Amino acid sequence: MAGEYSVVSLFSKIWRTGCVTEPLDPHSQRPLEIARQIEAKTKNILGRSLAIREVDAGSCNGCEIEITGLTSPVYDAERFGVHFVASPRHADLLLVTGPVTRNMEVPLRKTWEATPDPKVVVAVGDCAQTCGVFQGSYAIAGGVDKVIPVDVFIPGCPPEPADILLGILRALDRFPSKH
Amino acid sequence: MIAAHVVGALAFLVLRGAPARWVGAFLALIAGVFAILSSLRVLLSGISLAFAVSLSLPALALTFKLDPLGAVFLLLIGAVTIPVALFSIGYTAGHGAGGSAGMAGFMLHLFLLSMSLVVLAANVFTFLFFWETMSLASYFLVISENQDGETLSAGRWYAGMAHVSFGLIASALLIAALDTEAMGFDAIRNLAPAPELKSTIFILAFLGFGSKAGLVPLHVWLPKAHPAAPSHVSALMSGVMVKMGVYGIVRVGLDLLHGGPPWWGGLILTIGAASALIGVLYALMEQDLKRLLAYSTVENVGIVLMGVGLGFLFKSYNLLSLASLAMVAGFYHSLNHGLFKGLLFLGAGAVAQATGTRDMEKMGGLIRRMPQTASFFLVGSAAISALPPLNGFASEWMIFQSLLAGVRVPHPFTAALMAVAVGVLALTGGLAAACFVKAFGISFLAIPRSERAEQAHEAGGTMRAGMLILSSACVLLGVLPIAVTSLLSHSVDHLPGFAQVVPEPRPGAAEWGFGLKMQVPGSLSTISPAMLALILVTIMTAVLIGIRLLRVNRALRLGETWGCGRVVQTARMEYTSTAFAEPLRRVFGALFRPAQDVMIDFHPESKYFVQSIQYRRVIRTWFEEFLYEPLFRGIQGFAGVGRWIQSGSVHWYIAYVFIVLLTLLLIARWM
Repeated sequence: MAGEYSVVSLFSKIWRTGCVTEPLDPHSQRPLEIARQIEAKTKNILGRSLAIREVDAGSCNGCEIEITGLTSPVYDAERFGVHFVASPRHADLLLVTGPVTRNMEVPLRKTWEATPDPKVVVAVGDCAQTCGVFQGSYAIAGGVDKVIPVDVFIPGCPPEPADILLGILRALDRFPSKH
Repeated sequence: MIAAHVVGALAFLVLRGAPARWVGAFLALIAGVFAILSSLRVLLSGISLAFAVSLSLPALALTFKLDPLGAVFLLLIGAVTIPVALFSIGYTAGHGAGGSAGMAGFMLHLFLLSMSLVVLAANVFTFLFFWETMSLASYFLVISENQDGETLSAGRWYAGMAHVSFGLIASALLIAALDTEAMGFDAIRNLAPAPELKSTIFILAFLGFGSKAGLVPLHVWLPKAHPAAPSHVSALMSGVMVKMGVYGIVRVGLDLLHGGPPWWGGLILTIGAASALIGVLYALMEQDLKRLLAYSTVENVGIVLMGVGLGFLFKSYNLLSLASLAMVAGFYHSLNHGLFKGLLFLGAGAVAQATGTRDMEKMGGLIRRMPQTASFFLVGSAAISALPPLNGFASEWMIFQSLLAGVRVPHPFTAALMAVAVGVLALTGGLAAACFVKAFGISFLAIPRSERAEQAHEAGGTMRAGMLILSSACVLLGVLPIAVTSLLSHSVDHLPGFAQVVPEPRPGAAEWGFGLKMQVPGSLSTISPAMLALILVTIMTAVLIGIRLLRVNRALRLGETWGCGRVVQTARMEYTSTAFAEPLRRVFGALFRPAQDVMIDFHPESKYFVQSIQYRRVIRTWFEEFLYEPLFRGIQGFAGVGRWIQSGSVHWYIAYVFIVLLTLLLIARWM
């Protein structure tokens, strides 16, 4: 760290600098509107937050960066009830990225089996749908729908955060109803 | 009862094979029933039974008397004999026909008989004779199962320490009986020796009986001998024989010597607390199921002696109702320990027989293959962890209450020590619970860790019947403690100096209101284990009914354990017993200071590919290293010096005998 700060100088620097956040530009309003619709719909269907488990089935991490962008301070989707969980056992929705590599075929299948019913699967990105730039590779087992049943495909390489949220909203419509 | 044991012993000598097992066990069962009946009769009526068998010399008469104190321990013996006898029918079936099995059965009857006669003994000679018989019979039983090096070494340790303790006990009792002619306990009771003599006798007796009871640091034979013995014998030794040590301490200290200065009670309490803590800490680190149970016996005997020590302490300050409470708590815990430790050892025996190993790290998944044994073991584990509404909870609660009531002791330092003792007892309770979660979880849950464990079969009918009796007793004694404590308090009333307790409210007894309540005199605490049990059952039923009524979705789908999507899941990915206890090993690392070794085999071509990793950890046994090894070396050195006496020539030996005889006659002539 360049330069030592004492507590007093730190507080005075905070006081002098003030708040540097900018208001969102109009282009960024669209994801927030979609997120508000998601919040209303999950409260209606589930009565609680939507628990999402993200599975990386061999992606280049481009889609992952967009997904983590959703939970960054710019969009902060978690305040709309979009909650990422640590285990498929806790999940309602599986968010799968990447063409399914051979090594991830069985784990992806096991993850889907470990997720309790009712559940939906959303495949994010061109690779998840058509294997994208990796089409024809010896290391691929095919798109996500060759391994587990998929409810919604989100095209794009990578898709925008607004498109990802739209995909989740569409997936909620396909949520199986409680018996 | 004696007749039943004698006939049983003979039966084992005469018959062979299956008839011998059934007849012998049946006779042991009858003996147990008689033991229980006679002890109940004595406890309820307060009248002692006495009889005598006289041999030629007056000092060598065998006199017996079943007084209420002895009746408590006879009750314990009978109560554990019955299920063990049933268990042994199935368990010894595989242990070879012919000579050795017959000898083992004979020794078992001899062991039971001599233990019963120890609590009945009414003079020094009888006591010592049957004590020695008990030790010898149990020595033969310890080495009866297999004859490998470890078992024989365990037997040697056991025999050695049992004889050292016998020497201490014998010297204590003989000093106490110096001025009596027939060395009867009644005569000793009426003597009033000087305080220094009393303390000497007490110390010798405490060390001797304490070694038998398994007090630290004289406990080292326990974790060696109990695992080596066959499981029904371990159940008897752990559950009953160590209580003979407790009986001896109470008999000599309170009965024969009429109690003493407060430091006696303080000494017993301190060493009891230390044993409890050290025992449970070593139990946590163990991987061998039976050795874990053996160390847990050290812990529980420590707890019993905490109660007994409190009894001594309160009596010396003349707080008689509290003393009575503490003694009853100690006796109750020894009875309960006999029951649940017996149950655990029988369960461990069934498991060891089914899987062929005592090593917990080779077991696992047994709850599916041996469901009934698993549930009995679970009841035993819950009882020893002092979970309500079982019996371990009731007796540990009483000991806690006695400790908390101890602040009434007039001496402030002692009262402060009580608080420390409460802390120690609470710590051991928590550690014991962790220990038995480990013992039950690693052995029975998850998936099998070895092929033998996969092929384990359920225990036989008689074995399960024995375990069923003990688990029902655990539940019953937990839910109805009043019946037991009022019975046990009869025994304390008959000890000298306690007779004034009778007008005061009897500790542990209750108003038979709705739900039997247990109340501690003078304190505000009341507890009703029966109510607790009722509440637990009600809650569980209410939950089940509620689930039905609210029509909760109970669709069931069976799946694999989630392992992060691993392609192959094997037993290698389960908890091991070492791993489970690892956090506690770190916390108490200063005590254990284990020697650790990690050996990594790399692939010859690259250091980044590991072929195998071996982790080896040895818990150092401090007492053996620093106490016993130097002692042995000293004795060996000393013996080496005197080795020249053994010249090998018979003439010299005859000369030695002659010289010693002459010297003794001269000394006797001049005395």
